[in-house]
Amino acid sequence: MLAGVAMVSVALTACGGLQAEDPGQVLRDAGAAMAKISTVSATLKFTQGSVSFQGYVLTGATAAVRLPADSDTTYKVKYQDLLIGLQVVITGGHVYLRPPFSGFTEVTGATAAAIPNLAKLFDVQTGLPAMIPAGNNPTYIGTEKVADVDSHKVSATYSAAQIAKLLPQLSSSGDVAATIWVGGSDHLIRKAVLSGPFGDGGTASSVEIDLSAFNAAVAIASPTP
Amino acid sequence: MLGLAGAGLFVAALDAYLVVTLLPAMITDVGLTIERFEQATPILTGFLCGYVIAMPLLGAYSDVRGRAPVYAACVVVFAAGSVVTTTAGSLPWLVAGRVLQGLGGGGLVPLTLALAADLYEDRARTLALGAVSGLQEAGSVFGPIYGATLASAASAAGGWRFVFWLNVPLAAICAAGLLVASRDRGISRTSVNRVAGEPAGTFENRANEQARTFDNRASEVARTFDWKSACLLGLGLGLLVVALYPDDPDHRATSGLFIPLGILSLLVLALYGWRQLRALEPLIPRQLLRSPRFAGVTAANVLIGAALMVALVDVPILGRLVFNLDQLASGLLLTQFLVGVPVGAILGGVVAGRIGERLTAVLGTLLAAAAFLQMSTWQATELAMRAGPFRSADIALAACGLGFGIVIAPLAATVLQLTRAQHHGLASSLVVLARVMGMLIGLSALTAFGLFRFRQILGTPQLTDPDVRARIEHLGRLVAAAFLQEYREIFTIAAGMCIVAAVVIFATLRRETPRLSLTPSSPPR
Repeated sequence: MLAGVAMVSVALTACGGLQAEDPGQVLRDAGAAMAKISTVSATLKFTQGSVSFQGYVLTGATAAVRLPADSDTTYKVKYQDLLIGLQVVITGGHVYLRPPFSGFTEVTGATAAAIPNLAKLFDVQTGLPAMIPAGNNPTYIGTEKVADVDSHKVSATYSAAQIAKLLPQLSSSGDVAATIWVGGSDHLIRKAVLSGPFGDGGTASSVEIDLSAFNAAVAIASPTP
Repeated sequence: MLGLAGAGLFVAALDAYLVVTLLPAMITDVGLTIERFEQATPILTGFLCGYVIAMPLLGAYSDVRGRAPVYAACVVVFAAGSVVTTTAGSLPWLVAGRVLQGLGGGGLVPLTLALAADLYEDRARTLALGAVSGLQEAGSVFGPIYGATLASAASAAGGWRFVFWLNVPLAAICAAGLLVASRDRGISRTSVNRVAGEPAGTFENRANEQARTFDNRASEVARTFDWKSACLLGLGLGLLVVALYPDDPDHRATSGLFIPLGILSLLVLALYGWRQLRALEPLIPRQLLRSPRFAGVTAANVLIGAALMVALVDVPILGRLVFNLDQLASGLLLTQFLVGVPVGAILGGVVAGRIGERLTAVLGTLLAAAAFLQMSTWQATELAMRAGPFRSADIALAACGLGFGIVIAPLAATVLQLTRAQHHGLASSLVVLARVMGMLIGLSALTAFGLFRFRQILGTPQLTDPDVRARIEHLGRLVAAAFLQEYREIFTIAAGMCIVAAVVIFATLRRETPRLSLTPSSPPR
């Protein structure tokens, strides 16, 4: 009995005494909080399946985003079994690309349109703030610390149509299961794991997304090609 | 029993260089991109650092604790390092695993040599020591092709990670077998030079006065084991590797702290040398250190080790980045080189018996130098060029391996001639140590130089091709051309190192000198 009380106390202490909440409310609060951010850093890591970027297998990406539309993203893609970083800066409506070892050059037209702008992920109308609260079958899983922040862990399912609205380049051939960690005090999304048939050719894929540095200073300047 | 110990040593030696062909897959798995290639250097240098630190340290330690327990401990450390390496999800863990592997694997070299000296006497001992040294050399040389072949065969079972997983059962078999065998033969805690299973009294009766003196000295060495010197050697080499680390290859060839760390490294290594000359119980006998022939062989081995590293590391990478070969094919590119080494080793032994060690070693190093000079003219289409029925690249690589092989026997024989039979284990260990040190320093320095030159040659290309894919393919061609130019220069440097080694051998192996005793105070006979 005493041991049980002690374990509960330890668990509560570990998570700062975060209480279980209605999962739908957690997601609604997350959407509202994410709608207010001005900058954010994101790290994406593909842990299953194969997703292509410009014809190369994408293994992950890191991005600094300044809303509403600026982003500085480095995509890690496989090139002849080696990993190369492709840096894409999108600012003021212009798209600049820097392959490894080389300088920035602007890309335009269809090539530019094919490159995703990760700032769109956080768009108030079409991005995560709008999509997150609309998750189907929200389920409260528990509480966990993510990057030292006590967070609610909630799962939900999103349809292919909802996913397609996030980024024009993103497509799924079926529902996507999401596990989302939402900060207990600020309601910001700290982490999300998405699993579903959004890999190449509709194959099963999984991506882990970590979000940090909310509203921190981000310098995204137009590179001099 | 020696077979089990040798098998463990062989596995560890394989692991030293198998990463050469696995490196691209390993760094991709931990998320390291090609533009940060320099960060992958510690995957190789970390192992070699651990190897060099453990090698002089654990031979003497086993005199106190017994061969089998220390051997088993080294194998456990090696296996633990393999587990850390194979499960690593990030670069720091990968490097930590490799350092652990090196520490465990490096300890096996003197232990196996000492075990050979314990188990055999006279001519049989020399043969056993030669076999152990041969296993060490063979493991180093066959590592790249072993890694590439095994990883390709086990691509569905984890690829490169499977190669390191496999070390665990192999290490367990070697350690358990050795412990059981040593218990059966009752030698786990016997002193140096005692024949396995033989009662101490019988051995003492059979041993001559000199051998007893050696046993006494060995026991004293064991009691006053020089940890400080071993730590100084490790610290000095570690600092040198860090000083040579290219932390910003866009702007400089070496670390930003090259001068202070380099000076500190030299000071620490000088302190190590001073201790060796002044300490009462040096790890290396003073008379051996003062021998010009030994100094010449050591210097030549350091240079040859560095040049050997160029062939072992750079040829597979060249195959991957310039010749567009896959993992297995880039490893197989070394086949002719690998065949050349043992053939050369046999040839070197035969030729040295007829024309002498000095001339044979000089010819071997000059052959390797000539091969490197030919390699310094390689083109991107080199693999399509033929000389008769053979690819010209294969001929150059075979000649290079043959040259390195020819050098092995004369240099080893020279060191063995300088010492009495009782010291052959230590002497053979020193030969290996010098070569591994050369490999370590050579790898660090040439990586620093290579990456700096690569950035200089490539510059900052402005790619304006119509789409992203075309730009990347264009960049791929530019990178391949820059790598080719960089490796041509490195091959030229390797040729220069071989020529310097030939000059050193020619200058220092002039005359016979008396055999040296391990006993520091006793005069040479």
